[in-house]
Amino acid sequence: MSKNGKGSGRTLSGLLDALGQPVIAVLISFLIGAVILFASGYNPLTAYGTMITGAFGKGFYLSSTLSRATPIIMGGLAVCIAWRSGYECMGGEGQMIFGAMVSALICYYMPGPGIVRILVAFAAACLVGALYCMFSGWLWHRFKVTFVISTLMLNYIANYVCSYLTLYVFRDPASTDINATQTGKLIESARIGRIDLPGLVNSLPDGLPFKEGLVKYFKGFNLHWGFVITVVLVILTWVLLKKTVFGYRSRMNGLNDRFALYGGVAPVKMLYVVMFLSGAAAALGGSFEVLGSKYRYVDQMIFSTGYAWSGMVAALLANFDPFGTMFASILLAALATGGAAMQRSAGIPIETVKMIEGVIMLLMSVKLLRLFAFRHKAKTTATADEKGGDEE
Amino acid sequence: MAETMFEMRHIKKMYGTLAANDDVSIRLDKGEILCIVGENGAGKSTIMKVLYGLEQPTAGEILVRGERVRFRTPSDAMAKGIGMVQQHFMLFEDLTVAENIVFKNEVRKGPFLDRKTTFETVRQLSEKYALKIDPKAKISDCQVGLRQRVEILKILYQNAEIIIFDEPSAVLTPLEVEGLLETMRNLAAAGKSIVLITHKLQEVMAVADRIYVMRLGKVVAERRKSETSADELAYLMVGHHPATRDIPAIAPGRPLLEVKDLCLENDGRDILKSVNLHVDAGEVVGIAGVSGNGQSELEACITGLTASTGGTVLLDGKDVTKATVHERRENGMAHISEDRFLWGGATEGMLYENALMAKEDKAPFSKHGFLNKRSISDYADDLMKRFKVKASSNTQKLHELSGGNAQKLITGREIMMNSPVLICCEPTRGIDIGAQEFIHDEILKKRENGDAVLLISSELTEIMTLSDRIYVLFEGKIAGEFKRGAIDEKSLGILMLGGKINE
Amino acid sequence: MTLSADYLAQVFNTTIRYLTPILLITLCANICSKSRVFNIGLEGTLLSSAFFAYLVQNKVGNIWLAVSVGMLTGMLFTFIIALFIVKLNGQPMIVGMAVNTFSQGLTTFLLQTIFHTKGVVNDVKVTGLPKVNLTFLEEKFPIVYKMFSKLTAVDYLAFVLAIVMFIILYRTVIGFRIRCIGINPEAAKSLGLRVDRYRVIAPTLSGCMIGLAGCLLSLGSVTMFMQDISAARGYVALAANNLCLGHPLGAIASSALFGFTKALSQILQNVAPMQLLECIPYASTIAAMAIYYAVTTRKHKKRKAL
Repeated sequence: MSKNGKGSGRTLSGLLDALGQPVIAVLISFLIGAVILFASGYNPLTAYGTMITGAFGKGFYLSSTLSRATPIIMGGLAVCIAWRSGYECMGGEGQMIFGAMVSALICYYMPGPGIVRILVAFAAACLVGALYCMFSGWLWHRFKVTFVISTLMLNYIANYVCSYLTLYVFRDPASTDINATQTGKLIESARIGRIDLPGLVNSLPDGLPFKEGLVKYFKGFNLHWGFVITVVLVILTWVLLKKTVFGYRSRMNGLNDRFALYGGVAPVKMLYVVMFLSGAAAALGGSFEVLGSKYRYVDQMIFSTGYAWSGMVAALLANFDPFGTMFASILLAALATGGAAMQRSAGIPIETVKMIEGVIMLLMSVKLLRLFAFRHKAKTTATADEKGGDEE
Repeated sequence: MAETMFEMRHIKKMYGTLAANDDVSIRLDKGEILCIVGENGAGKSTIMKVLYGLEQPTAGEILVRGERVRFRTPSDAMAKGIGMVQQHFMLFEDLTVAENIVFKNEVRKGPFLDRKTTFETVRQLSEKYALKIDPKAKISDCQVGLRQRVEILKILYQNAEIIIFDEPSAVLTPLEVEGLLETMRNLAAAGKSIVLITHKLQEVMAVADRIYVMRLGKVVAERRKSETSADELAYLMVGHHPATRDIPAIAPGRPLLEVKDLCLENDGRDILKSVNLHVDAGEVVGIAGVSGNGQSELEACITGLTASTGGTVLLDGKDVTKATVHERRENGMAHISEDRFLWGGATEGMLYENALMAKEDKAPFSKHGFLNKRSISDYADDLMKRFKVKASSNTQKLHELSGGNAQKLITGREIMMNSPVLICCEPTRGIDIGAQEFIHDEILKKRENGDAVLLISSELTEIMTLSDRIYVLFEGKIAGEFKRGAIDEKSLGILMLGGKINE
Repeated sequence: MTLSADYLAQVFNTTIRYLTPILLITLCANICSKSRVFNIGLEGTLLSSAFFAYLVQNKVGNIWLAVSVGMLTGMLFTFIIALFIVKLNGQPMIVGMAVNTFSQGLTTFLLQTIFHTKGVVNDVKVTGLPKVNLTFLEEKFPIVYKMFSKLTAVDYLAFVLAIVMFIILYRTVIGFRIRCIGINPEAAKSLGLRVDRYRVIAPTLSGCMIGLAGCLLSLGSVTMFMQDISAARGYVALAANNLCLGHPLGAIASSALFGFTKALSQILQNVAPMQLLECIPYASTIAAMAIYYAVTTRKHKKRKAL
């Protein structure tokens, strides 16, 4: 019976349900943003116009949007993995900070060829992030310290500890500036390489009609391979969460942990495996940021950019779906690069973007569609209630 | 002729296409004790929920003291002097008895709570109706019987004239039931009018003035107590004389589940005291007992949800005392949990996900850790068809199903595990008679198949009908073991309440 | 001897100054948790209150107005949080985080549009909350004077409010009902109480205390506003509320713990690098919760053994 029209109708409405909410939330948030901009004496239309061109208008802008999206996506994946399993872990920031720090140090101090350094850095970042995240898991498991408190507190600790390390222990020896709190700059070979998209476009056969436009657009395109690895990881996470036994168990654990226990899911193992994966994902995001964009750990680089938080917003927007998280992350990154452009050219503070993010989150917290559909539903349930059944 | 307290006329209540109440008319006179009897699912609770404003009738009218009313919430009903003692107590654990009673109509002194007067008022109230309580005691220190008394006083404090009791004796010990019946008589003598909903005929015969019998949503008979007997009521309730099932004798095989000296201690209290039992191949073994005597804990310890503090559990001779739930399931244990939504399913999960649980790592549902969506979906459809789960598709969410349908899905899932041992707790709670029969058949089929079934149920008839052997559990101890037919319902009842039977 | 007494008095004074904002927020967290509103938006609410109080004081210069605006901001934000959680069934964690993110954006945005600065506004012309004058103690009891010097009226008010909250919760009818809702909202509903209304109004009113805490941050011992001035105090208050088991007088003790650790990180400045010292309050928050759990469960076990 499920394979008939009814079933497909459900999936269609399900799709609408899944897409409608984020779209409406984003639209309303932009509207509110426009009102705030207008009230502060800016022209919202110009502002948003600059924002869009600033995010996608040139190959260079596009690449900086995607490069910014990279750590956000990884932070989002970390949230997807943890929250879907029922652990409301907010430690992405701390994990990312440690991931960034560890990979910056390894790639700078480790001898050997660049590629080895990079691989070791990835592995070490994953491990440190995972252990760090498992520590909050342990605090919960052993002492019932709630995730909210432990992960938030640890975020601050992580940031301060890494500040200390950059300032006192691993400060860039080459730096002459007393105020520069950063680690040493990585050698060329210990950085993640660039995607040669401009070269690729150039090598297209000459006869193509749109080649000229493409070449022009992609001229300044400058993106590291970390983004591609991230996309691969998104696919892998999607497979892991949706197609595997582990994904099923973690989802059941998130929906009702008692039910999972009753069905034979080992709760402690689940907790630590999920913490491991989530921690590793966010840390890898930090690693990409260092090895692909900044080439060193700069004090506050993760804390002030709020990548981890944006990742969380993205994951929430997408209801913990990895692909959705990726698109939402790119949207948020576009907001940020666009916002920066807006600030440069129109003098509008970039923080507008953060407010919009906040409103999106607030709207995503409730079932908007259900609110809108409420009246309609109330009318129909009285006559056509499908709930057959027995009385209690 | 006594004054009529309320009258319900031609009440109809539809849940979707199902009529929970159909053309029900009920009248209550002042100072009488009215009983509404019927089997589970006969619609007796629904009709009272309609009266109490918890449900809106689809058709029909309600008159309270001759005045037409329409209750939207329980507060409306309370304002007209109707109070209900619910099955699940609604009390504030950390507060005192008196505070619980006066909630919402507090004794004030300006903006402040007047504690002294509160305690005094409550004390007077309890004396007036001979309901002994300590106003200053904390609810968390009160036993079930006392808590029920607090609930009754709460209603009396609100000046209720009509008091509805919904299955009040389900959670009580026999002595407490005696006390409760006495209380009802006192209240009636004091001029209160009482409605008692129950399916326990001894209680009906002990206190009722007048009786309505309900079956399948309709009132099938009205009797004065003096004109009827327990036998006649039983006949009216079921619609036929309860058929005795023809269960073929099977010689039990080797023990598949053995529980030896099982102990559980929690918070310094002994919940299970050295429980010994065994279930053999081809046997259904019932655990009878008033709920709260350790059944849930026994279930949890056997299935591995709770770690026991002493003793061993053997599964087909293998020690699984320290094993995880997963290992126990791997070793051939399936488990229908007592609470379907708390443990037995994920309400926000889809039906096929709920159906898959504990099979997710088995072929053909997964291979090398990857799920096979098609075979899972087919399996879920199959399960839903076989166990007659009414749903539009297997991608519906569990909470969209009615309680009975959800129960069928969960029961079906565990029966389809085809495991040698099935721990079966309240398998038919809240489902209609037809489905009950069906599930009973399935349990018996497992027995014929040579499997071992441990049946824990608060429905004595269910235990009596299905079990080859019965253990009686009282205060965490086995109070007796009987073969089929070796004990009657009455003696079993005495044992369940901690009494002794003379051979 | 006098030197060390002097020093301790200084420690005491610093502790108090860090303690009071956290105490005020903890009291609000207390009401929120009793109303079953899981509020992690305390942090953002605090940040916004601090900003708007400072803004008014900077532009208008009327301290009464500034404090009122701070309190109103606290109430407004808490109202939004409670409304979304109770009435619209929002996921509490997301609602709270949304308010935190929004507040961060809003304050920095306004900082830039109004004060044209990115990090800090520190205008010497702006006066903060008036300090309670204790100079009459200076000669006779220099230590006592030192202990309580430079505290504002709001600092004292915090302690008074803790006692007032205790009286409201445990002695009045309204408080009784709020406590009842905290214990069992279903039971309260079954008796026809408009539970949702209480669950929105009670936190909203208690939001004024976050407002006061905000005033203490931006107009208290220092008169300035900077980005992220709240510095996780909202989260710390959540932990403090967990530790005091939702009792307003216990809140004094648990926020004193955090006040003291914060003071400690100030005092030890010459001993260790500032960055590591800054970790102390956060680490001790986690440690306190873990130790608290370990101790209570051990007690539990002991009782079991007897």
